[in-house]
This record gives sequence, C-alpha cells and structure tokens, in this order.
Amino acid sequence: MVPAWTAPTLMRGLYVHIPVCQHKCSYCDFYSVERPGLLEAFVEALCREIELLAEQFPAVLEEPLVTVYIGGGTPSLLTPFQLERLLERIRATFTIEPQAEWTLECNPGTVSREQLRIYRQLGLTRLSVGVQSFEEAELRFLERLHTAEEAAMAIQWAHEAGFEQVNVDLMFAVPGQTLQTWRRTLERAVALEPSHISAYSLIWEPGTALYARWRRGEIAPVPEELDVAQYELAVERLMAAGYGHYEVSNFARPGSECRHNLLYWHGEEYVALGPSAHGYVRGRRYWNVRSIERYFAALRCGKLPIAGSEHIGPRERLAELIFLGLRSDGVSFERLRREYGIELADGAYALLRRWQELGLVQEWSETHLRLNWRGYLVCDELAAELTLSAERLWERHTGSSQHLPVLDPGGVRWGSSRAKSEAVCTGGRHLPSVQT
Amino acid sequence: MRRELSHIRNFCIIAHIDHGKSTLADRLLELTGSVSSREMVTEQILDDNPLEQERGITIKLHAVQMRYRAAGEEYILNLIDTPGHVDFSYEVSRSLAACEGALLVVDATQGVEAQTVSNLYLAVEAGLEIIPVINKIDLPNAAGMLPVVQQQLVDLIGCRPEEILLVSAKHGTGVEQLLSAIIERIPPPKGDPEAPLQALIFDSVFDPYRGVVVYVRLFDGTVQKGDRILFWATQQVYEVDEVGVKQLKRQPVEQLTAGMVGYLVANIRRVQDTKVGDTVTHAHRPCQQPVPGFREVKPMVFCGIYPANAEDFEELRDALAKLALNDAAIVYEPETSAALGFGFRCGFLGLLHMEIVQERLEREFGQAIVVTVPNVRYQVRRTDGEILYVDNPAQMPPPTHIEEIAEPYIRAQIITPTDYIGPIMRLCIERRGTQVGMSYLAPTRVDLQFELPLAEVIFDFYDKLKSVSQGYASFDYEHIGYRPGELVKLDILINGEPVDALSMVVHRSRAYDWGRKLCVKLRELIPRQLFEVVIQAAIGSRVIARETIKPLRKNVLAKCYGGDVTRKRKLLERQKEGKKRMKQVGRVEIPQEAFLAVLSIER
Repeated sequence: MVPAWTAPTLMRGLYVHIPVCQHKCSYCDFYSVERPGLLEAFVEALCREIELLAEQFPAVLEEPLVTVYIGGGTPSLLTPFQLERLLERIRATFTIEPQAEWTLECNPGTVSREQLRIYRQLGLTRLSVGVQSFEEAELRFLERLHTAEEAAMAIQWAHEAGFEQVNVDLMFAVPGQTLQTWRRTLERAVALEPSHISAYSLIWEPGTALYARWRRGEIAPVPEELDVAQYELAVERLMAAGYGHYEVSNFARPGSECRHNLLYWHGEEYVALGPSAHGYVRGRRYWNVRSIERYFAALRCGKLPIAGSEHIGPRERLAELIFLGLRSDGVSFERLRREYGIELADGAYALLRRWQELGLVQEWSETHLRLNWRGYLVCDELAAELTLSAERLWERHTGSSQHLPVLDPGGVRWGSSRAKSEAVCTGGRHLPSVQT
Repeated sequence: MRRELSHIRNFCIIAHIDHGKSTLADRLLELTGSVSSREMVTEQILDDNPLEQERGITIKLHAVQMRYRAAGEEYILNLIDTPGHVDFSYEVSRSLAACEGALLVVDATQGVEAQTVSNLYLAVEAGLEIIPVINKIDLPNAAGMLPVVQQQLVDLIGCRPEEILLVSAKHGTGVEQLLSAIIERIPPPKGDPEAPLQALIFDSVFDPYRGVVVYVRLFDGTVQKGDRILFWATQQVYEVDEVGVKQLKRQPVEQLTAGMVGYLVANIRRVQDTKVGDTVTHAHRPCQQPVPGFREVKPMVFCGIYPANAEDFEELRDALAKLALNDAAIVYEPETSAALGFGFRCGFLGLLHMEIVQERLEREFGQAIVVTVPNVRYQVRRTDGEILYVDNPAQMPPPTHIEEIAEPYIRAQIITPTDYIGPIMRLCIERRGTQVGMSYLAPTRVDLQFELPLAEVIFDFYDKLKSVSQGYASFDYEHIGYRPGELVKLDILINGEPVDALSMVVHRSRAYDWGRKLCVKLRELIPRQLFEVVIQAAIGSRVIARETIKPLRKNVLAKCYGGDVTRKRKLLERQKEGKKRMKQVGRVEIPQEAFLAVLSIER
C-alpha cells in the first residue's frame, strides 16, 4: 500500500504571551488586561508554567528552539529584571540554538533608550515596534498612547542599542486615513530604515471597541477600493525601497524575514506560554485559557493552563500547508509530494493556469507556487479552490475518503497528570485527552 | 367469504383540505371496531405517509374495509379515500367510479370550497348518492355559521335541510347516525358474480415483497388465486397469487366477487403496468367493454432534476426508479444539460406532485439534487408545418423555425368571499387570465371562473391567491387544451455563454421585465468571482437585459499567526464546503439556488 501520509520533521519555536497593557487599543482583539500591576506575579506564573511543562509535557523539550517570540499585550512593560528572570528560566529549561532569533514586541510609549540597551544586553536580537501610524489623528483613533515622534525615537534607540533586526508595524484601511496620509506614514517608516515592515489592513474584530462603534453606526470600514489602493501603494513603495514582500502583510530586507513567523507559515511546530497562547507540538494544536485569573488558578493547583486542543491530522495539515503557503512564500509542491505523494502541480494545472492568466501568480515552477500581491489579496478564495483539488488528488491517491489515517502523536502524553491535578483542583479547565 | 350484495356499501368522502376528512375516517374506523382505541393513538391512520401528515393532504389513495352491525345484520362498509389536491383530480374521478355513494363533508365554520364543489360535480356525474355532512359543529363559532352552511348545501345539491347530518368527528358526535345513513341511503352495489370479470383499478402500491398490490372494485364476475387476468389498457396478462380485502392490514380471502372492493397480487413488477382507471378482466373470458373513463395520466409540469455532484448520476437514476415503483404518475427520461451535466427531465401531474417527488428524493432516498425551473409542455408548430411538443425550453427550435407556439390552458374555479373579488381578479388578469363566469353561491360568496395559461399558475399562483384573499379563496382547475400565444424563449447568458438550464419560455409582453428581473436576481445570487461576470438575458440573438458582477478584489485576512491557524482553517473549510455546492458553468461558479432564481422573482 502507498504510504498515505508521511509525518514531517519539524522545527520548534516558543511563543510567550504577555497579556498586560496600559490601555487597550481600539482595534486589538488579542487577549490582554489593563493591569500592569499584575506583571510581577505574572512573570512568576510564567516561570511556574515552564516548570510544569518540563515536568508534565517533556515532549516540548525534545527539539531545540530556533526562535523565541515574546508578544502581547505589551511585553515592553516588563522591567529589565522581570524580563531577565523570564529569559533565564527559558534558557535554563529549553535547549536553544546558538543562532536563535529572540524577538520582543515593544510599544513606543513604554520604552526608554536605556531599557532597549538592556534588552539587547539580555540577549534579545529583534524588536518589533508597534507604530501603526505616523499621523497623530490616526494614532488617537486607534487609541495608541504614544505620539508619532515617540515612535520614531523608539526605532532610532533600537538601532542605537544594537538591534539589527527591527520591525515596524503599520496599519492601513483606518477610517479617516487617506492615500496621502498613508503615503506619509510609509515614507517616514522607510526613512527610519527598519529591517522589516508589517503593514496590516485593519480588521474589524467582534469584541473590540472599534467593532462596537461600528455596530452603533458611529464609524464604518473604509470602502474596499481604498483598502486595495492603500495595499497596492504599500507594496509599490516598500518593494521600491528594497523590502521583499514575503507574506500578505509582511515585508523584509533580504535575510531579515521574521523566522518565528515563517515557522508558523511553514507549518512548523511551536510551544506556547501565557494565557490565550496557542502551541503546536507533536501533531497537536493546543491553547491556553484566555483569562489571566484562570491561568493563575490552574498554575496554583499545579496544573497546566491548557483549555483545549485539536489533533492536526493529514487532512487538516494539508489544508494548512496550502493556505499558509499561499499567504506567504509559496506552496511547496515538493513538500506535498514528499508528505502526501501527490503531484499538485499537475493535478491542479488548469486551476493554476487560470490564476496565472488572471495575473495572480508571482512564481510557478515544478517545485513551487508563489502568489503576487494581487494573488495575496484574494488568497482565501484561492486557498479554498486549491485545497479542494489537493484533497481530491490525495483521496484518489489513498483510494479512499472514508478512513483517513491519523497521525500517531509519538508517545506524547497529553495531560498525563490529569487525574492527579483534577483531584486537587476542581473546576479547572480540561486538559487534552490522552492520545494513543 | 362471499357477501350478499345487499350488505355491502362502497363510499368515499369528498372534503376540502382541513375540513376533517381524515379525522372523520378515523372515527368511522374506531366506531366500527376496525381499530382499537390504542391504535388510534397515532391520529389519522389513513394518512400514513409522513409527508401526507405534514401537509395535511392525502397523496395516495387508500381503501379500508369496516364491518358494522345494524338491526341485527352485519354490513361491510368500504371506505375509499380520495386524494385531496387538484393535481390528482383524475385519481379522484376513478375512486368515485368505484363507489355508489359519497359523504360530502363541509367544515361548519368554513362552508363550501372550490375543491368540494368540483369533486362534488364529479360525484354527481358518476351517479353517486350524496350524503351531506357538516363537520366540526363543536367549534365555538360553528353555531352562527351553521344556517349559512346548511343553506349553501341545500343550494348546491338540492337536498332538504333535514337530510344534512351534523357531526363532530373530533368528539364522535353524530357519527352513529352517519353510519346508519350510509346503510340506509347509499344503494348496495349491483353486479353479476357469474358474468365475465370486470374490475376497476383505483389504486396500486408497490410492496417490496409482493410486487404491485392492485386495489380494485369488482363490477361483475369473480376473481381468485390462480386466475389469469388481463389488464385492458396495457394488455398484460398475470396469474393471481392472492386476493384479499384491506382492513388495517391486508387480509387474504378466497375470492372477490361483484360489488366487492379488495386487492389482488399477481407478481407484477411495475406500477406502470397497473394504470389507475384501467380494467382488469379474465384472460380467457374477457368482459365486453372496459369500465368507462380510463385515460392515460399525462404529466403537466416538467423540470430537470440533476445530481448536485455529477458523480452521483447513477445513484439518482436508482432513486428515481425506486420512487416510480410507488408513483405511477411520474415520468422521467435522461437528459443532458451543458450547464448541469447528466440528469433527468421529469414530468409531474402538478406543482404539488413535483414538490412531493423532490422531497421524497431528498428525504427518503438521501439524494442531493439540483432542480431547474418548472415549465409546462409547449406545442410548437414549425414553419415546415411539423408539430412538436417541447417540455424543456432549452430544446425549443430557433425562433426563425417557429410558426407558432401554443401553451396549455386551464379553467380555474375560485370560490371566495365577495370582499376579495377585486384583488383576485387583478391577480388573474396579471397572470394573463380571462374571466369566463361568475355566480353567487350565497350573497357573500362567489364562484369565479377564469381561463388561465397553466404556465402562469405553476409559479406561486396558489400562494398569491391565498395571500390576496387572506386564506379564504379556494381554487380548483381543469385542463382545457392548448391555445396559441405570443411566446418567446428567453435565454440567459453568463459571460457570453448561454446557460441552457436557465432558459425559459415567457409571454412576449413580459420578456423584458422578466429578463431584467432575472438578471438582477442572478447578480444577487452569484458570488463575486476572480473576474468580471456579465449576465445577459436574450431573445434569440437580441440582448434585452444586462447586469455585471464586479470581480472579487479582496478576500484575505491581514493577520495570521500561531493562534489564528486553527480558526482560519475552519473558516476556509466553510468556504470550501460552499464551493462544493456550486455548479461550474464555463469558468463561473453558480450556486444551486440560482437555477430556481426565477421562482423567487417578485412579479
């Protein structure tokens, strides 16, 4: 019988979520609370989580980490002492590649020149600065606490502190923003010479302040034409300035692509720490509780704060490889051939040919398909089409759509201490069930 | 079990939907001891098909035998149930022909309705003894209406008021008197058991173990196991395996004789061989004449039925074949559509019949199907004089080859309170109707007669009629043949390609309006694609309406990091499932609903 699916070998990253902000931005739907006073206890809890992971879930330690990403929330609210404690605990527990990428997200209003210097000394290699806009009115609309000037200073300080890898987050399709103001923001960002720029089209997420205002009829999303025009402008301007467009919203100088994010987009694995963080280990995606109280409570009981998990079987993984590949630096036909035994380049020839005729394709070879910015703009649509083709090919290849093979998780014991911890701690969140 | 003819009564119930026919039948069964009260728990025993129970109508005929003792004598009462919908009026006439009498049941609060009237005429024509019954006298507002309804019945059938029986089927009030009236008033059947066999088929059902079970009424002769019988219309000969009577279950008997109602089983494989209305006789000693009134049932409404997934064509074929075992009225043949692939053109007695078949295919047979817009069968006279019948608009010859197109017409009978005459007339005229008669049944109740093209009635006419009359108007119709009209074929082109499954025949005066509305509707239903989609309506080569669907510019979420992967994959999964339900026509993906878009267009 043909091997239906070959389980891949995977790189490993670590994501740490710091769910604390001074003030919640109007558009943000990441989990965070406006309680900086909790940070001290939170770092303590994170250290405890790392300890429990090592104890109860030793599989996370097996692969060396190639990236560590501290996001939020506002991780730059961490004092150098708190950060040092956290980093030390990470280094003491995990095996880490010497050339690993260490990123911290940083909010301009919260950092000083001195603080960034210490961050660099503590071993961080990359700073991601949440600028969003260099227009004061737009910053106010987004409820950012910093000014344009403070944002520019932060980037300069990062460079001075010795960070070679600096990202600037920008946002477009913001109500009130015009093509002109967006161009000014882009120009100013380029002039500061960061190694990496993320330019996001504003997403109106349910549960955010922005969304509530929209529902009340006070504001509305910008017309699609303006959104697309602003996107096109960003692509044009940033490419002209030497940034490669390597994911829907991400641009980087060659060699400065964010390795941690690439890990997500290449379907590699990652360990998660902190409330609401998602991990992907040994073929299973799991997520921590989305509440700092429940997070503390679980840890106090000696229990991992995992809220749920799902098995990423071959079918799920196939869909993910395709949509993530289309969003970023391409779908690897070679990889699908290796993992699934399918020839997607041939099997979906007519479809791909049509995309090419529609001007959506950047690169199309025997081994690889990569979209251009026009393709990125409709890549959810394309992903649905290509996934359907790939699934059909794979079903034909395995000869059955009824009984899909399930990836053997390789001896990981999910929530192995479940019985014990539940006895101690009633009402806690459930742990993923044991997979055998 | 040979019975004296004088102790047999064959009768049916004529009633409008909801006037309590099934409840009355159930009460008769109960009072005659044909069912125990325990069996009554599932109300309405005769409507045993779940679809029938849901819709409150009888689709298939049923016959049931009851025994009743009166004045020390045991009588056999055969109740032959009739379908309660205009689509099945031929079946009604056949079941009436099997009876000597009919109960005319009218709701005490509603009065006489169109369906009742037309079925009553059929019964009178068939020479049946009519027993007028007013039902639901227990309803609180019945008392006030009663004299009015009584007068309606007196006017309608010329009976005396005291002949009308007052009944509450729900509570059993008056049902004993009704049973007595059945025995006293309905004449016993006549017939000669020694004469050549002459039996009328009024129903047949397919039993997976026995083959077709044929329900018959014997007029003359005797039939028993081992007899070789001949079906008059189909000229098929079979050997009888079993004869019997239907109580709640089938009960074999030694023989059936003149005057009796019963069933026969003869290893018959196809219900199509046992046509309702046909005559059964003996192969070796046939009767002189068949029972009069037989005709081939002709489908009046047609549509394409296609598998949602092209690979399921064979499965759909099997399902249709199985369904047809129990539905002699459906006709189907394979057809090919450039847009939808391989499927079937199916013919139905009417729109309700079509809906029932669709629902049965989906529910009983688990088929995912795409149904095209229903149409009638057109009679086309070509320029070379040849006449052809077209039941798929896509098959219409090019306009230059057509001398004339004729379409089937109906005569509609609408009975309504006078308050709604205005809106009903407007509705009928909108639908190209001509008024041919109007008579008052009572000072506040009128019987309107219209001639209408059938094509105008098959789309939502009944719903519209109900809504303009707040539910009070009732409707019945009969076919009156073909009439020429200014008809044209309207084509829909998507990105320049005609989509055969969307073609339709319309009246020239409506073509522009329809074309425009249909294009607008399709623009709403077809999702944006990666390229511009142009929708056009055309008559021949002349484009009469056009809409464009702008290309999809953006369909991507800006962010996707660790935690979003699962969420996004699930969104994608939904998008993908949506795509599976689309039909690819050329390069354009068209959702299945679009093929029925015309039905949802506001006129």
